[in-house]
Amino acid sequence: MAHYYDINEILMEEENITSTFKVGASEVAVLDPCAETSTVEQGAKVELPFWLAQYLRSKEVVTIDVPPCFDKKTRKEVQADVACVDLRSRCPYFYELGCKIAPMIGDRTIGSFLLVAFRGRYQDILRKAHSTAFVVAPKFLTLLTKEETQLYEAAKSSMTAYKKWRVGGTRFERVPILKKRRKPND
Amino acid sequence: MAGQSDPHISLFSAAEIEFVAEDELVEIVPNISMEPLNFTCGDFGPFRPQMPTEVPMWLAVALKKRGKCVICPPQWMSVDKLTQVLEAERDTEYAFEPLPFHYVELSRLLFDHAHEDIPDLYMVRTLIEDIRDVRFHKLESSLKLINERVNAVKLKNVSAMEMNIVRPFLVRTLQSFYKLDSPQMIHNPVTTAYRQAQAADRGPRLELRRRHMIDLLRR
Repeated sequence: MAHYYDINEILMEEENITSTFKVGASEVAVLDPCAETSTVEQGAKVELPFWLAQYLRSKEVVTIDVPPCFDKKTRKEVQADVACVDLRSRCPYFYELGCKIAPMIGDRTIGSFLLVAFRGRYQDILRKAHSTAFVVAPKFLTLLTKEETQLYEAAKSSMTAYKKWRVGGTRFERVPILKKRRKPND
Repeated sequence: MAGQSDPHISLFSAAEIEFVAEDELVEIVPNISMEPLNFTCGDFGPFRPQMPTEVPMWLAVALKKRGKCVICPPQWMSVDKLTQVLEAERDTEYAFEPLPFHYVELSRLLFDHAHEDIPDLYMVRTLIEDIRDVRFHKLESSLKLINERVNAVKLKNVSAMEMNIVRPFLVRTLQSFYKLDSPQMIHNPVTTAYRQAQAADRGPRLELRRRHMIDLLRR
């Protein structure tokens, strides 16, 4: 499913993950803004982009913490009313990141949590995408993650295209080349 | 599929669907005399004045534009029949009435090019609009049934245009569900999904039972 050149995949890997260093690392203080010396000490908590955290974890240098978007508080909110949770501000790549990070931190509940969240929100998107007027950008769009926005856009664009066809338009489109040639004669 | 305007979201444009619909057969009454026409898709004619014959929609429209024929509206396009269909559509919750696969496009083509040949044009137009609205609403509500355990919804008699409108959304949704429901995400999918569903269905009762258990343990 994941493509090497998929822009969303690349952007998703930029998400910051809090990770704890298992060992001290010298000359990499640039990673840790609070470091006083040029060394990142053992046990320091550092925000790393996902791609770096993933690599360092595979070398057993860091351990990855559960990102705040999968913590207990968010889960409670999702349980209460999934459609109103502002997932975008928490993590625009909520589902993608969840899929990647679940096997890494070995939390089996994340998978089903994502599924429950998506099922609840998808019904809401479905209802709104086909019914809202197509000029105004609705307020609830600001709550959606990247993937959900794409879903919404897909549903809306096909509906808009259909409505446009129904009210009618030009039935015959003249080839641009013909238009040019005709003009001098007219 | 070949000829799609945008393969990325698997969407035909409405005009493309209309083009496909123009191959449907329709009955015309010509007012000219003409030899049979032999096409790759079949032979049509001969054309004699006042003798009804079946031709593809595009040919009917072309003849109509030149004033060479009268198009007979299809049987399903009568007020009686459409009223029946509308009633039936409103009565059922998820089932769709059998209508021609291209009924949306055919009705639009006929309204545009042959409106004087349709009796009770105004009524017919309103009825078809109503039917379409009811059906689309039904389609939407049946799509809501999709979740991690229901990967398919059986929808009979959905027309081409209706399918085309929901296609991009449906495809993406199923992809997302597939991704989130893959075995590597959920290690034992059956039990987890089942437990999850149970928890969702009767959360409070489980809570109670658990509390009860704790009480028992305390004793």
